[in-house]
Amino acid sequence: MSALEKVATDPLHDVRAYAAGFEHWLAAPPDSLRAATAPLPNYADRVSAMAAMMRDLHDAGWSRYGWPEESGGLGGTILHRGAFWETLSRHHVPGMALFEHLEILAPALVAMGPPDFVSQALPALLSGQELWAQGFSEPDAGSDLASLRTVAVAGDGGFKINGRKIWTSWARYATWCLVLARTGTPESRHRGLTAFIVDLRSPGVEVRAIEQANGTDELAEVTFDDVHVSDARIVGHLDGGWKVAMHILSHERGTFAWFRHCFLYQQLTDGLEHGGADSDAQLGDALLDLAAVTTTSHAGLHAHAADDPLGPKAAFTKLLLCEAERSVNSWRYDLDADLAIGVQDDETAMRRQEYLFSRIVTVYGGSQQMQLETIAKQTLRLP
Amino acid sequence: MTADLHAEAEFLDVARTAFASSDGEEALRSLGWWELLAHLDDPELRPAIYAVFRAQGSELGSSAALGGLLAQPYLEHTDRVAGSVMSAIRRRSKTRGVVWVVVGDPADRELLIDRPGAGATIVAAADVSLRRIDVPGRLPLHEIQIDVDVLPSTIDEACAATARERSLAIGRIAISLEILGAAEKALELAVDYAGQREQFGQAIGEFQAVRHLLAWAQTDCVALDSTALHALRLGDDLPVGFDAVVKALAGRNGRRACERSLQVLGGIGFTTELDHHHLHSRVLALDGLLGTAASLSRELGLSLRTGGRHPGFPSALLLADG
Ligand SMILES: Cc1cc2nc3c(=O)[nH]c(=O)nc-3n(C[C@H](O)[C@H](O)[C@H](O)COP(=O)(O)OP(=O)(O)OC[C@H]3O[C@@H](n4cnc5c(N)ncnc54)[C@H](O)[C@@H]3O)c2cc1C
Repeated sequence: MSALEKVATDPLHDVRAYAAGFEHWLAAPPDSLRAATAPLPNYADRVSAMAAMMRDLHDAGWSRYGWPEESGGLGGTILHRGAFWETLSRHHVPGMALFEHLEILAPALVAMGPPDFVSQALPALLSGQELWAQGFSEPDAGSDLASLRTVAVAGDGGFKINGRKIWTSWARYATWCLVLARTGTPESRHRGLTAFIVDLRSPGVEVRAIEQANGTDELAEVTFDDVHVSDARIVGHLDGGWKVAMHILSHERGTFAWFRHCFLYQQLTDGLEHGGADSDAQLGDALLDLAAVTTTSHAGLHAHAADDPLGPKAAFTKLLLCEAERSVNSWRYDLDADLAIGVQDDETAMRRQEYLFSRIVTVYGGSQQMQLETIAKQTLRLP
Repeated sequence: MTADLHAEAEFLDVARTAFASSDGEEALRSLGWWELLAHLDDPELRPAIYAVFRAQGSELGSSAALGGLLAQPYLEHTDRVAGSVMSAIRRRSKTRGVVWVVVGDPADRELLIDRPGAGATIVAAADVSLRRIDVPGRLPLHEIQIDVDVLPSTIDEACAATARERSLAIGRIAISLEILGAAEKALELAVDYAGQREQFGQAIGEFQAVRHLLAWAQTDCVALDSTALHALRLGDDLPVGFDAVVKALAGRNGRRACERSLQVLGGIGFTTELDHHHLHSRVLALDGLLGTAASLSRELGLSLRTGGRHPGFPSALLLADG
């Protein structure tokens, strides 16, 4: 009997049973899933298709595994979530399209957010009704995040936030934004930051879409002009925002790779008909890059499942994911001259979007150079 | 999992010390390795059995360990015990065609020569003509000088075929760990050097260009470490083809880590003053056994493209087994 056949019946305690059950259910997929697998280069279309699919998967319970019951989940660990997205990737869902925050922001909200709020907000996110954005970067604070200048000043039973965030992915579609703002002195660097949950519908918030080089517009600039936030919407502690940010970045660098790389595997397998003997070596090389992500991010998932986050070691996984993104997309690009020319049909347009995106992954979530510095300092202990 | 990792790290330290302070055969004896080898199927002992290869790589040791490991899956079809037989490795030379090599010194052991299609034969090393070649990287190899095809088969083709597949898989993982050990050591040399060597009035390790080279080399090693140890943990559940992934990654990343380290060492790294050249050559020689990175990558690409076969999947399995 192979290990795959040794499937027990308890999906909550056995990830394989969960995966098998989900797979079985997907034998007759909801229409929303079929719709979400279509190539939809228009980002707004993709968002609606994904939200509809997520609603069905929430209502059927599959997306609620891996989240604590008190937050609206069914229990289980991040391994369930790993199996959930892997299964969807194999069913040709092309990516997480703005549900990435389930694996970037949401773990920190669950761990450190106000429990009452989270028990409402997580189901709303899981079911595609209320989405999230991450407001960290600013025009003058990129890699040097601790220099950020958006301020939150106490008063009126809460805080007033003023400032400008940029590169705020999915803000246009989001209801909530996790804003990192300065509550300490201007010189306090990472010690004087607090993480606030801001309702993007509040008066004083303005969201301006940024058109991207790959033709999508998920990035945005968000300005805050005397925006009121109640004390109850602090994640973690006052002046404890850096810890929240590090929790989020540890996921964004360490475990997110698992979720993302499932889709990269699928991109390879879906593009095989374009391949030929002369590109087999390149294909094999991309597989090696993916395998490195599989095993390092798998270790990351287990570490997080055991409540022992990766810390600086997540830098390796992030670098390896970027390598895999690049090699998978280079292989696709080299095989299909249409990608060079651009948009002929939806399928090509999507591939080109992915290709161009693979050239900027070395910037978001902490640039490649910052990851290399982390390794040089923290692992190699160079001077 | 954390406890296992500690045990692995501890055993590795002990094994390194053994290889650093004595000759490879003696190191294996002092570690009780041949007794351990008989327990290859025991998931608790497996990491310790393989740690020896990593230690051998970093300390540039040489022993009969690889041949013994490769022979292990065949032994159930014989009355031999672990350690008495070393398996020879078939490799293809551009000019000489098929060449059979034995890694390390067979001394008074028997040699197992598995000829796909014709079963395996076991002969006393003393009964065949062997030519010792000292491969750079302090890796003694022996080439078998006789025509192995005329030898009678000791293990018939059906039994040999099953053992062959397993032998190749475990051998590839062992060699990969030896490559990892050597690459890590080469990197260690370069990191130490970067902390000491000064130019322009400062340690070269303060220059970002140098720091990033070393960080990339470390990333090469981490990717290999994680993938090889993952394969060990999966044991019998190893997906078909995963051993080729590990070995290809080892050849590719091992070479890359050595090259990056060499760049940081500057001119002195290209001399026999430092051990870097031994470590680098060890990596190259091991890349050449049981499938080079180049040939295995091509095969992996081919089998995915034509057969849709993907060694990483199904991964729900990988997810469940820590
Ligand atoms: C697709 C995408 C999505 C994003 N989504 C979000 C989001 O949702 N929320 C959010 O808050 N932010 C988001 N970001 C912003 C991202 O976090 C920043 O782009 C990143 O931190 C880098 O900042 P920067 O763009 O200002 O570049 P800079 O920090 O100005 O860096 C420019 C270049 O200089 C290099 N550099 C900088 N400092 C050093 C140094 N000390 N040593 C060596 N090299 C250095 C960098 O590596 C980079 O190559 C997103 C970015 C992208 C591209």
